[in-house]
Amino acid sequence: MNTGTRELPRTRNLAEIALRWALALLRGRAFFVLIALLIVFSALAPEFLTVNNLSILTKHVAITALLAIGMTFVILTGGIDLSVGSIAGLGGMVAGYLLTQGFSLGGSTRYPSVALAILVTICACLVVGALNGWLVAKAGVAPFIATLGTLYIARGAAMLTSNGKTFPNLGGTAARGNSGFTAFGQSYILHVPAPVWMMAALFAITWVIAVKTPFGRHVYAVGGNERAARLTGIRVNQVKVATYLFSSFCAALVGLIIASQLEAAHPATGEAFELNAIAAVVLGGTSLMGGRGSVTGSLIGAFVIGVLADGLVMLGVSEFWQMVIKGVVIVLAVGLDQAQTRLQAKLLPLLEAGR
Amino acid sequence: MTQPGSFPPEIVYEARNVTKRYPGVLALDRVTFRAWRHQVNVMIGENGAGKSTLMRVLAGVETADEGELLLEGNRIVLESPRDASARGISIVHQELLALTNLNISENIFAGRELRRSAVFVDEARQQARSRAALERLGKPMNALTQTARLPLGCRQIVEIARSLDQRSKILILDEPTSALSTAETDSLFEVIADLKSSGVTIIYISHRLHELLHLGDRFTVLRSGRVVGEAPRAEVSRRWIVERMSGRADFYSTGKNSAPVAAKTVLSVKNLSLRGSSGDEAAQTPLHEVSFSLREGEILGIYGLLGAGRTELVEALAGFRQIASGRIEMFGKEKPVDSVRAAIQAGIVLLPEDRQRDGLFPDLSIRENMVLAAPRGAFLSRVAEAAQVRELAAELHIAAKDFELPVTTLSGGNQQKVLLARCLMCSPSVLLMDEPTRGVDVGAKAEIYGILRVLAGKGLSIIFTSSEIEETRALADRVLVLCQGRISSELSREEATDERLFAAASPTVNSASSPLRSMPSQGPSA
Repeated sequence: MNTGTRELPRTRNLAEIALRWALALLRGRAFFVLIALLIVFSALAPEFLTVNNLSILTKHVAITALLAIGMTFVILTGGIDLSVGSIAGLGGMVAGYLLTQGFSLGGSTRYPSVALAILVTICACLVVGALNGWLVAKAGVAPFIATLGTLYIARGAAMLTSNGKTFPNLGGTAARGNSGFTAFGQSYILHVPAPVWMMAALFAITWVIAVKTPFGRHVYAVGGNERAARLTGIRVNQVKVATYLFSSFCAALVGLIIASQLEAAHPATGEAFELNAIAAVVLGGTSLMGGRGSVTGSLIGAFVIGVLADGLVMLGVSEFWQMVIKGVVIVLAVGLDQAQTRLQAKLLPLLEAGR
Repeated sequence: MTQPGSFPPEIVYEARNVTKRYPGVLALDRVTFRAWRHQVNVMIGENGAGKSTLMRVLAGVETADEGELLLEGNRIVLESPRDASARGISIVHQELLALTNLNISENIFAGRELRRSAVFVDEARQQARSRAALERLGKPMNALTQTARLPLGCRQIVEIARSLDQRSKILILDEPTSALSTAETDSLFEVIADLKSSGVTIIYISHRLHELLHLGDRFTVLRSGRVVGEAPRAEVSRRWIVERMSGRADFYSTGKNSAPVAAKTVLSVKNLSLRGSSGDEAAQTPLHEVSFSLREGEILGIYGLLGAGRTELVEALAGFRQIASGRIEMFGKEKPVDSVRAAIQAGIVLLPEDRQRDGLFPDLSIRENMVLAAPRGAFLSRVAEAAQVRELAAELHIAAKDFELPVTTLSGGNQQKVLLARCLMCSPSVLLMDEPTRGVDVGAKAEIYGILRVLAGKGLSIIFTSSEIEETRALADRVLVLCQGRISSELSREEATDERLFAAASPTVNSASSPLRSMPSQGPSA
């Protein structure tokens, strides 16, 4: 329609390429921040870029990443799961109780095998996840409140299992047939820590679900426009319940990993973990309003948080300053997200108009 | 054409050569509208004619791209509704904007609270003035009643009371009766007559003919963003309005009735009833014993005014509303459509009326929006999807450069076609479309009619609802007219004249003899 654009096809193509690059940079900003952090810390702290340090770092990251991966689906539907830290704590205590106290059956105390203990732990955590899902999807409680409630419930339940005490010596004994729990979080496969494998596997599975399955698309649809999702025939309630179940499953893994690494279960484990997980998801570009974001982003977000914490420790920055810096990074990231959304809204019509 | 100096004293407010564009749509095209002093100035036009846009410009809610506003002969610029009300112009919106969590007097003074000692809200004075305004309207209500508990008619009164308290000289009412019962409408008319005699100039928008002829002093007809007629009451007849509203000159031709009478019956609906809503948020018109059938390849139009139950009917068929009683049969077999999924499986899909609210996923791409409802296996194949999308996009003439861009980059007409593609991907036997061309410009409208005609030719049965006579006549093989939740008439394409459609859709004034006198005179706490 505009003759001015028709006369200059080459300039328009160049401009279009520049636009596409600008958009790609904005979309991948968490990744570029991560690279920048890695470069900065490698330059400032010589021991940062060693195999040993990176191995420890990824082990730390795995905890946040597992929770963040689970949290991503919940946030994509427009919800939030504040209970994951408490669920991890509860999971550790259930495993600790079963391995050290056993259960009484027919008058005598029996000790379940490690595999059974892990299974029961996961099931216990899924019950809390199911409660979250039911409250949000069926009872219509706001996700923030529903999971705030279960945050307290799960934490209280964890305290009740031991009256607030720690279950020590989770290594088990061969005589009771329950040794080997420590391998869950401490073993190495091909020189890579088991939790990192779990993170990688869970990420791969979740990525496939998000990108390649109808369920994944339904998650995005529910968060993007719930009414339209219902009118399209998507089972909105089931989708929501499934996301909370999955989040609690990830939290259970975290609880088991920590208990296994410490060889002890403490009921306060996982306090404030949910905040790290939410921060990672948000850093990764997922919108708290739902409908927009990615699992990959959350993984990168978890790495940003982990690298930042680890690097600052190596540089000898005080713990208090670390908190301030982390906060600043989170706020900046979200501010940038807002800016890029507006920018994208402006740029996309240009691309579309340039036909 | 008009000299700047020529401004007759009878005209209070004038919009001169106003043009307003939205992306892809020319909503107002050099419109000149005059409001005459102490009269009821009626503005008529079908949906999408630009009535509401013009009203929003007059009330300062939107600014015109071109043209000027003249109040008492002086050029004014309105930056906001606040500006407008400071000059004595106020509007009661079509979608009532009442803050339902607040009480009546809080609503009347929302945003302009009276103060005591400069800091505190002067509740007592607000309530006294609210009572005075309500009394002047002849509707004494307890000013402390929460507006959520009021029927829609009363909320309207509260909004009018608000503008009355602001001493408005000009009151704009945008489709005030669209959600009202007959009794409520009657009392609103009394209020309007009172206001007029007390010196208020009324601008009244509607597409209900019988109301307008009863109420109006001056008539202006809008069609497709242009003024197509202006006359005083004495020169206006029903025919005069209808001819200008529907504009026979640009009647769309979409070919002949495509469904042979002998074609087999696809859908039959028997005695379908739907309960009315008790809550006040989502008003649901009850349906009473609706029965009809649909043949293969037939396009059935459902015509009715706002609140006739059109949306309720198609949403019930699509499994989105709980039906109270009745049967829905597909190919002679009963199908319980108690959920959207069940309806899709039975072969019935709905393209909803409100694209933004009920249809589009703004965060998803064009491709994802199109394939979302289609049945799939365990894994998605982007390649297969892209192929499907390309094929359908070509068939439906969806003008998109890149299907991976967000769906929000498309124009209204193309968005509507994306949703149509989504419906077609479910391979339906019956396609339901609620207002198929709402928010779509004229060119795309004709294109969509053409596409639907082609689809019907291939054997798809289509039901569409419309509040536009022109659209109903252009597209439908057969028309069912809904009025207050009942089928009031069934007309063939040939029988469906403007006059007959209007007559069947308009409730007869004394049919519903005030089911409830719905104004709560004094609330419980008074």
